[in-house]
Amino acid sequence: MTVTLIMLALVIAGALAWRAETYWQGSAKWLALISLALLATVFAVFVIDYAINHNNDFAQLQVLSRVNWIQTFNIQYSIALDQLSIVLIALTWLLAIICVLVSWHEIKHHVGFYYFNLLLTIAGIIGVFVAVDMFLFFFFWEVMLLPMTAIIAIWGHEKRHFAALKFFIFTQVSSLLMLVAIIATGYFHLLQTGQLSFYYLDWLMLDIPLSMSQYLMLGFFIAFAVKLPSVPLHSWLPDAHTQAPTAGSVLLAGVLLKTGAYGLIRFVISLFPQASTQFAPIAATLAVVSILYGAKMAFAQQDFKRLVAYSSISHMGFVMLALFAFNSVAYQGAIVTMVAHGLSSAALFALAGMIYQRINSRDLADMGGFWQSAPRMGGFALAFAGAAFGLPGLANFIGEFFSLVGVFQVLPEFAVIAALGLIGSAIYGMVLFQSSFQGTPRQDIIDLQPRELIICGSLLLMLLAIGLYPRLLLKFSFGA
Amino acid sequence: MMSITSNSPPLLTMTMAGAILPQLIIAFGITLALLLVAWKRSQRTIAVFSSLILFTALIANVSLLAMPTTQVTQLLKVDGYSRFAFSLILISALVALRMSHSFLKAHIEVHDEYYLLLLLLVLGAGVLVTSDHFASLFLGFELLSLSLVGLVGYHRESHYSVESAFKYLVLSATASSFMLLGIAFIYSVTGDMSFNATTASAIYHQQGLGMFFQLGLLLFVSGIAFKLSIAPFHFWTPDVYQGAPTPITMLMATISKVAMFVVLLKCIIAQRYWLHDSFQLFLMSFAVISMLLGNVMALKQQHLKRLLAYSSIAHMGYLLIVIIVSSAQSLAFTWQSALFYLAAYTLANLSIFIVIALIQQQNTRAAFQEDILLADLQGLFWRVPSYGLLMLLGLLSLAGIPLTMGFIGKFYILSQATIAHAWWLIATLIVASGISLAYYLPMIFKIFADAPSDTLSDTQKINGNVKALRGHIIEQVLVYSFIAFGLVFGILPEVINQLIAS
Repeated sequence: MTVTLIMLALVIAGALAWRAETYWQGSAKWLALISLALLATVFAVFVIDYAINHNNDFAQLQVLSRVNWIQTFNIQYSIALDQLSIVLIALTWLLAIICVLVSWHEIKHHVGFYYFNLLLTIAGIIGVFVAVDMFLFFFFWEVMLLPMTAIIAIWGHEKRHFAALKFFIFTQVSSLLMLVAIIATGYFHLLQTGQLSFYYLDWLMLDIPLSMSQYLMLGFFIAFAVKLPSVPLHSWLPDAHTQAPTAGSVLLAGVLLKTGAYGLIRFVISLFPQASTQFAPIAATLAVVSILYGAKMAFAQQDFKRLVAYSSISHMGFVMLALFAFNSVAYQGAIVTMVAHGLSSAALFALAGMIYQRINSRDLADMGGFWQSAPRMGGFALAFAGAAFGLPGLANFIGEFFSLVGVFQVLPEFAVIAALGLIGSAIYGMVLFQSSFQGTPRQDIIDLQPRELIICGSLLLMLLAIGLYPRLLLKFSFGA
Repeated sequence: MMSITSNSPPLLTMTMAGAILPQLIIAFGITLALLLVAWKRSQRTIAVFSSLILFTALIANVSLLAMPTTQVTQLLKVDGYSRFAFSLILISALVALRMSHSFLKAHIEVHDEYYLLLLLLVLGAGVLVTSDHFASLFLGFELLSLSLVGLVGYHRESHYSVESAFKYLVLSATASSFMLLGIAFIYSVTGDMSFNATTASAIYHQQGLGMFFQLGLLLFVSGIAFKLSIAPFHFWTPDVYQGAPTPITMLMATISKVAMFVVLLKCIIAQRYWLHDSFQLFLMSFAVISMLLGNVMALKQQHLKRLLAYSSIAHMGYLLIVIIVSSAQSLAFTWQSALFYLAAYTLANLSIFIVIALIQQQNTRAAFQEDILLADLQGLFWRVPSYGLLMLLGLLSLAGIPLTMGFIGKFYILSQATIAHAWWLIATLIVASGISLAYYLPMIFKIFADAPSDTLSDTQKINGNVKALRGHIIEQVLVYSFIAFGLVFGILPEVINQLIAS
């Protein structure tokens, strides 16, 4: 109930911010910030309270509510939480607040409507992480997509319409495949038990023959592989990331890509274990190709955001590889990588946004020698680039290390090739840092402002905390 | 077959009359309207009178929703499905009537004929959705077509009117003659004109049906496919959609589609045509061609009404899937899917055409400007938020995105196709909807783009001309209520489901 109210409150707060902006300029961002902080606190209190009251550590899914919604198809509004979704929702809250902060001065027109879309996206993302009715999951999957597309299409850069269109078509077509798989599984449930059901926990009981489940699994897999993204379905990502406003990129890289990984864990692997095992070699190959291809392409980019976007493909490849190793160490590595990548890529995109605001360009050729005029920004940039290429002491290292260790036990040859990606990431990380902050100074820029310091500082703090004390995340089993 | 004997039951009992009460109200209203014209020619009177008739019929129809199925003579059969469809038709007619008001007002002439034709059209549709016999089908079909021809060419001043009316007239007449020939062929084999299942299926089981019957079936379906603008019988659609006055295009997109599809489904289900492999093959190829061609052709259109014409072709293609995959066990579900999809489609089209008509009213460039370009949508959301929102909901519904009824409609169709394992149709549907996004989405982006003449609207604001953009109070109410319908039925589709299931 509380979670439902939180999502509802997000939508209402968004609508309020939209209205308020027309009366008092500048009120929308404050409203958005305050409501996000407040609701995040409510969520945290609720989770802790629930854990204490029910003496429960959320290792298993805790169903929070189940209400009839569309009776004709026996579709229920049912939501549940477990450790995985709680961690991802926590990440969502953090990045949502960061998003509001990075948009503080960036968004200048249609401000109220912008914050409405932002809060709606966040409500949708939280919905995706809590829904356990497959129809509801699909519903939220699309609800988060629509405002995100609007954010890219209205407040993006030069080629925003093309990028938004590509993003939407890729996601929509692949999710239609998932919808067909959802319907097919629902009707398979009807055949087997005599009742139509889209309830996730019902589906876990199903015993689907491999001949059928491999196709169903594929339907889900494609939808999530597009979101993740994995080669060869990645081509929407560089465009969408590059053209989106800073907050859009932060949200896309930080959380939206994680919904793909979340879907792989929760649905593909849990519902179709047999089919996934059978499919693992192909998935692992795709993952390794993604890692290497992403690193290679990142190295070749001239656009700051595009470079970071390709690096995301590379990092999410690690997540997919680890997930399809079916190994608990790798699994935990995947989850740490998800969180770490959410933080580090969000930080890099936020930096890109800050630089863009100062020099009005994303082209690396226009940058250089910023260290002279903005040492603090340079320091943070170095740290985040270090995080991206897996510097020990930062969260990404833990994630990638555990992933590779886990994968090595099962698919050693894949782990060896994937490890090459780390070298690639060191190269593009250094290219990124050197061409923007070192060399002869092209122009002087203003150093970080207090607001920007808060953004970078909090992200770095989180990266360091997980990097130095990984038990923060590793002590949870995440249902493995 | 009923034979005339001395103690045969009366031809029309009170229950029967009660069952077709809405249609009777319309018919009676038409007669009264004729008398009214003789008495006093006034634009206002006839408009109020027609809407009153439609409204009464709607109330009668809604109150009859729960009534059991009634056979009214051999010709008509009123069941829950036909009542639901007729409600959709009446609502569309009411909206179209209101939207016609302002463009008819522009003339000094009094347009009684327009209202009469509109009522006749509704009567034709009312006969169609209840018909249980090829004769009544043909009657309704012709009534619908002929009044539409009159309405399409109603604007004598518009330079499209002659072209589109003639195109519609000629092709419509061809289609009816095709259909008539088809009915004759079918009759020659079965010896029965009613949709009654026994004869046809008995013959089918005894000896199989020859070429003659199949030819008749093909001709019959092509006649209806013409009306539904299913490819390859769609060629009239873009021109006529573009050339007709906007409220009439709205009627063509809603009433004509709903009535024709319902009668087609009724006929096919009653006659068990879906059992024929060759027939399925026809329909399947029609569906695939329509889905792909409609969407591909819509991609490069700059005229909004033309674009919607092509999108309607695609949507009829989606809807055909429902017929193709239906099986004897799931007939009720077939009906539900079709009706839900039609309801979603009608709602979306009404929403979009309301906005188009309102934009047209405000275009001061020419009083009878039929062309609405995509560019006219530029920045609509910022200029008039309520119009923009309504248009957005309509487009999302057509694109089948959640939060709208269109998505549930698609869910129904996909469920049907999944149960029937029609994977190729599903694949086509997915590809086609992918293509369709490539024109729906740019339209949405246009709506949200910055208004081209921001400065102009600013000056208008200063001059206090904002009122002019807003339109009449009834239109305001219409816009807001359609936004509410779109959202409520999109999120709680169970409301409609219950109506259809009963």
